[in-house]
Amino acid sequence: MSIAVSPLEVFRAKGVPHRRMEDWKYSDLRSAIDEKSVEHISGACIRTDAPAPIESLGAGDVMPEWLANRIESLGRVGSMEAAARAFAGGVLALRVPAGEQVDLPLHIDYMSAGHSHIVLSVEARASLTLLETYRARGGGLQNTSLSIFLEEGARLTHIRQASFASELIAVETVSVVQAKDSRYRVHLMEGGAKLSRVEFNIALKGEGAEADLSGISVLGDHAHADITTHIDHAVPNTISRQLFKKVAGDYSRAIYQGKITVREGAVGSDSRQTAKALLLSARAEADLKPELEILADDVKCAHGAAIGDLDADSLFYLRSRGIADDEAHTLLINAFLQEVVDHIEDDAVRSSAVEFVEAGLARAMIVAP
Amino acid sequence: MLEIQNLHVSVGGKEILKGLTLHVNAGEVHAIMGPNGSGKSTLSYALAGRPGYEITEGRVYYKDEDLTTLAPEERSAKGVFLALQYPVEIPGVTTMNFLKTALNAQRRARGESEFDAVSILRLVRGKATALNVPEEMLKRALNVGFSGGEKKRLEILQMALFEPSLAILDETDSGLDIDALKLVAEGVNTLRAPNRAMLVITHYQRLLTYIVPDRVHVLAGGRIVAEGGKELAHELEAKGYAGIIKDAA
Repeated sequence: MSIAVSPLEVFRAKGVPHRRMEDWKYSDLRSAIDEKSVEHISGACIRTDAPAPIESLGAGDVMPEWLANRIESLGRVGSMEAAARAFAGGVLALRVPAGEQVDLPLHIDYMSAGHSHIVLSVEARASLTLLETYRARGGGLQNTSLSIFLEEGARLTHIRQASFASELIAVETVSVVQAKDSRYRVHLMEGGAKLSRVEFNIALKGEGAEADLSGISVLGDHAHADITTHIDHAVPNTISRQLFKKVAGDYSRAIYQGKITVREGAVGSDSRQTAKALLLSARAEADLKPELEILADDVKCAHGAAIGDLDADSLFYLRSRGIADDEAHTLLINAFLQEVVDHIEDDAVRSSAVEFVEAGLARAMIVAP
Repeated sequence: MLEIQNLHVSVGGKEILKGLTLHVNAGEVHAIMGPNGSGKSTLSYALAGRPGYEITEGRVYYKDEDLTTLAPEERSAKGVFLALQYPVEIPGVTTMNFLKTALNAQRRARGESEFDAVSILRLVRGKATALNVPEEMLKRALNVGFSGGEKKRLEILQMALFEPSLAILDETDSGLDIDALKLVAEGVNTLRAPNRAMLVITHYQRLLTYIVPDRVHVLAGGRIVAEGGKELAHELEAKGYAGIIKDAA
């Protein structure tokens, strides 16, 4: 029996993460903010649009047993996740009852910077789309802990759309625990921030569970966008898919770190991981670090990472057909991202991804003199 | 139509074309033949304005305008077309979308009205059928997974669509079997016109059986070393490049 350690104690023991920690190697949070400042920041203002029959539990309510149990079951938490829980001023808990197919999206709109602690439980065979959007454009810290529980056969499509916020420090930890035959799909649209890091901890704990993570990062200016993923194939016959494409212009920095663990005995695990970055300027930087830890036999794991710039042959080919230089650039960048956009199943979400790319490229393609 | 005088072109600091002179009148088809490494592709890239092909000396006039100061897209809008030896594969851009974007970009640059999607589709379909380019090919990503013959047919389809004044065909015969070659040659022949000049660049005489040139030029060591009528191509076939180049020396 372990003695429960409070989030506050965890945060105070671990402190703000820094670049000498492997997971934060490319995002030195400590150089951007110190412990005292993290503690002084209060809860974020969140507007939640939760269509029926989603049950929601606000900050002032007594935490029911199901929620307490689940939060405890997550086990070890990172320091920023702990900070979010300690300083959010309460938890926003949402539950989709068993068997419910919710057609309208659950929209979580972060109206301001600050800490947030959110728990979402999608119960057996229920399905839901979760949309996260962010409005804070000034300075400060946006720090979110989002814990998701998918019960047997549950389905969740998660869309996270974060436009560029030049002064903001944005940190989010998404923990997903998946039971048998559950399906989690996430589409990220990242515009970056002064420092932005989103971390996914996916635990595939039931056979037949499937996680599919994809995202586009379109960065310009001094944008920094770090996507870090940990996928844990804990039991036999689980599937994970990852597809990330990043376009980095001007002085921006695109980061992907992805660790896949296939535990002992997790036979039949099937994992695929692709991360590619396109650099549009000599000052932009991309760091891609795929990592595999395989402790079981009879598994399928494929991974690939590549960083490049626009192909000169392709550019000349398009220009020789009358397509002007900047239009040819736009065409090729869109072509590079197309695979990820096509991966989005919902038409409306796909359209918003196209708009997101268009808006992002307008910034990413600006070339400083 | 095209007047090249004493053209010197360097690529990566190395001089490839060393004083090439060539005149092509409207309505004529000229063949440029030459062994590997003679500068054939350098000539075609220099005419199309590929970055990195530096003109160090000489002049290139097209319709009495200095071509060398124009960007590749400007040359295209003014009617210069280069069919590439190795057309580039571009995943993520469908062939139809590419054709529409390119045609409208050229029209826009000339101050002409753009075509809408329906008009373009109709236009492309009409020309595609004649070149045996199936509808399905137009829906695929540009040149991705196309056979050698399909890629070359698509180049000729572009030529038919863009209706250039000066068409440069760089080794259009390479990698084609005899049926594909005939089809491509037929496509080129139907585009012969009094207001259009063509420069057919090839290593082999084979293509010139189907596209009969008005003049043949032999390129070696970055210069034209021999010129003649269509019979020069046959002479080359008999004597080989070494024989002709030696005769010229």
